[in-house]
Amino acid sequence: MNHTLPRRVPTRARLTVAASAALAMLAGCASFSPDGGMGAVSDLTRERTGQAVSVQRSPEQGDTARARVAELLKAPLTADGAVELALLNNRGLQASFSQLGVAESDLVQAGRPRNPVFSFGRLAAGGVVEIERAIMFDVLSLLTMPMGRELRQQQFEQAQFQAAYDAVGLASDTRRAYFNAVASQELVGYYRQVKDAADASSELARRMLAAGNFNKLAQMREQSFYADATAGLARAQQQALADRERLTRLLGVSGDQLRFTLPERLPDLPKEPTAPKDAEQTALDKRLDVLMAKRSTETTAKSLGLTRATRFVNALHVGYQNKSETDGPRANGYELELELPLFDFGSVRSRRAEATYMQAVHRTAEVALNAQSEVRESYGAYRTAYELARHYRDEVVPLRKRISEENLLRYNGMLIGVFELLADSREQVRSVTEYVQALRDFWVAETNLQTALTGRSPAPGAAPSTTSASGAEAPAGH
Amino acid sequence: MSQRRDFFRTAGALALGATAVSRVGAASLPEAVYQTSATMQPPLMPPNGRPYNPVATLNGWSLPWRMNNGVKEFHLVAEPVVREMALGMKANLWGYNGSSPGPTIEAVEGDRVRIFVTNKLPEHTAVHWHGVMLPNGMDGVGGLTQPQIAPGKTFVYEFTLLRPGTHMYHPHADEMTQMAMGMMGMFIIHPKDVRQMRVDRDFVFLLAAYDIEPGAATPRTAEMTDFNLWTWNSRVFPGIDPLVCRTGDRVRVRVGNLTMTNHPIHMHGPHFVVTGTDGGWVPPSARWPEVTTDVAVGQMRAFEFDAVAGDWAIHCHKSHHTMNAMGHDLPNMIGVDHKGVAERITKLVPDYMVMGDKGMADMGSMEMPLPDNTLPMMTGTGPFGPLEMGGMFSVVKVRDDVPRGGYKDPGWFKHPQGSVAYEYTGEVPAATRADAPKANAKTLDVRKPGGGHEGHH
Repeated sequence: MNHTLPRRVPTRARLTVAASAALAMLAGCASFSPDGGMGAVSDLTRERTGQAVSVQRSPEQGDTARARVAELLKAPLTADGAVELALLNNRGLQASFSQLGVAESDLVQAGRPRNPVFSFGRLAAGGVVEIERAIMFDVLSLLTMPMGRELRQQQFEQAQFQAAYDAVGLASDTRRAYFNAVASQELVGYYRQVKDAADASSELARRMLAAGNFNKLAQMREQSFYADATAGLARAQQQALADRERLTRLLGVSGDQLRFTLPERLPDLPKEPTAPKDAEQTALDKRLDVLMAKRSTETTAKSLGLTRATRFVNALHVGYQNKSETDGPRANGYELELELPLFDFGSVRSRRAEATYMQAVHRTAEVALNAQSEVRESYGAYRTAYELARHYRDEVVPLRKRISEENLLRYNGMLIGVFELLADSREQVRSVTEYVQALRDFWVAETNLQTALTGRSPAPGAAPSTTSASGAEAPAGH
Repeated sequence: MSQRRDFFRTAGALALGATAVSRVGAASLPEAVYQTSATMQPPLMPPNGRPYNPVATLNGWSLPWRMNNGVKEFHLVAEPVVREMALGMKANLWGYNGSSPGPTIEAVEGDRVRIFVTNKLPEHTAVHWHGVMLPNGMDGVGGLTQPQIAPGKTFVYEFTLLRPGTHMYHPHADEMTQMAMGMMGMFIIHPKDVRQMRVDRDFVFLLAAYDIEPGAATPRTAEMTDFNLWTWNSRVFPGIDPLVCRTGDRVRVRVGNLTMTNHPIHMHGPHFVVTGTDGGWVPPSARWPEVTTDVAVGQMRAFEFDAVAGDWAIHCHKSHHTMNAMGHDLPNMIGVDHKGVAERITKLVPDYMVMGDKGMADMGSMEMPLPDNTLPMMTGTGPFGPLEMGGMFSVVKVRDDVPRGGYKDPGWFKHPQGSVAYEYTGEVPAATRADAPKANAKTLDVRKPGGGHEGHH
């Protein structure tokens, strides 16, 4: 660029016109978008969660959102309803959307040339006054503006990805919290049944003691089942409260909204488990963290190119200058400032940029490898959770029920006593609680799989629990 | 009923398995007669040989024989069998010739018998002739006096019967398993003189105990004491035949005990005298008059009485032995107030019913679904209501009009006018009593079953 400096100094008027035209052209491309970039965020989110997102800027938007929230809260929440509610209502997410506005401002800023610098100097000596005026344009910034703007554009897109990434994360956190809350609420009912059975045993044992048919030891043994069952119920109730509060936080509800209801039972197990096609490729194509890493690498590549192109020039200023002295003729001229690569040939900056680029390349590869691995792991966990839940539904629970039926027959034949019958009914209820836990694990695993496939890394430690909350009680020794 | 078809089938099978019987030759094997019915077969009148008065095996039969040059030849086949223990329950047992216990072997003092034993069990066996004096090598103790009879093999036992009496046969090879699976039979040696010890009716049965889990069919052979089915000839009441007699008959009952505990066999009504032990006939001067005779483990007893009209219970006097399958760890619910609790239990176990709070008699009349292939602990219905019995229980049914040699169940006894216990409907004056001792924390407050006891608290 330095060799294309104009030989002829343009007139003031011509310069002004040229600069104005360039400014007008560039400024025309760099204005705020009507949706602040939310359209793309919403599309990205919808594709991955089935739910759109929006920012509530205007009062109308706020009213619409509030009305929708109220509508969703009317009936028992579904999993999708909970996600929609969280996307509408979660303050953290809205804060993250605001970041998008910041990025857009940067983008618009980048589309506008730097303000010209005007300098004015006045020297007076012995009655002679010397005035210097200069107007300087950062020509290089003008020349690199398209590139800079592209960078900002990419950063803006990254911000859009980030916003969608946050939304998808919130959606999957909400789904998990939802399933946990529904399950633990359902479990409370079953733990209450266990307690009822233990309570009946304990009461009967107390009467047996009163009638002289039981000794203290036998009575206290029954009482201890009751005591354990009471503790179990208390724990289950606390778990239900904690799970509901976690959901509440994600939904961002407060006040009267806290009275939202959850369905009594988890959704049924699907007839068949899904088998996603080309799961790993899907993750590479769709996952936001992969896309972000790729885009970041591209951005780094661009900035590397830029650095190479400008390695010898860090600033080129061109200016018009005139000078007038008292009584002297007005002198017009121009000024150039050029840094010469005498000591630093730009290689340092170039090296740094290259290293940064390679860093980005490796990071992207890592993200992609992790994504593939996470998809495989999530799918394995999903299938295991499905098989386990189906096993509990088709095998364990019906078997326990048949065992109870057989035990009733044995009670009828006076082969076992009422205490064994009650102990067995506690065990039967326990098998149902294990099924509920397995079903919950399935829905959490399903959420994790969907998240890993199209969104982002599933939450750490979200694998199905390997131990159930309640170990099988040792058979009552009568 | 002898099943000829079974015989031919067996004969064919034996011919095919000629190697198993080659030492004696297929042609020399007497037929193995099979009987799978648990209905009492009419006593086997001896078609040849020395005459005798045959016995009646409760729910059983006697094994026919073949005379071969003056030797009575019997053929026992040890094999798995299915025995119906009472209507509604079948057991997988091991026995002989289609039944458990095996057929009664009857012969006469002085007879020479040759008994072929074919082993169709999955493991080896041997037969010990319990109480019979014979050459040591015929005593049937596997490993001690003979090699065991391997599966598929046939062994021959041959000896002369020296002394009349009541005896048994059972395995003496893996006997813990084989007897617990029902392998046993009666061996009756009649006196040479038919007039000696003559009776009109001569009943025989063997006591055996099984532990069959309700819903299962094969006994748990490892059980030692906690049996749940106490049987006579592998049958339990109400599946045990009545002992049908004619008024005035001289009746003999012979009992052998192959359980792991003693059984005091008690008969209502006529007194009896113990006329036979393991050692043979008891001299008249040494006979014990009794109404209960204890039959110890491995023993045999024969007692006799003159039949008196009526339905006289006969049973083991250990009260749990007159019960069928029941839980032995049940809590006693007598006197326990179920108010409120029962409803709560019903919520958890919808078909739950309070039982045992007034005693167990409920069980005699209630009909509730039970596990498959088991029997109510109490069952059977008499002319006056539920009998509340199971296990080792039967009835000596004596009637004036029973034909000689007839064993058909005559139905319930028709009591002569005024000979049945009746309800007193007059005044019940309050009893004068001394003060009862004061109750303390350790005193059991037993609540009596309600009904007809309004007079006291």
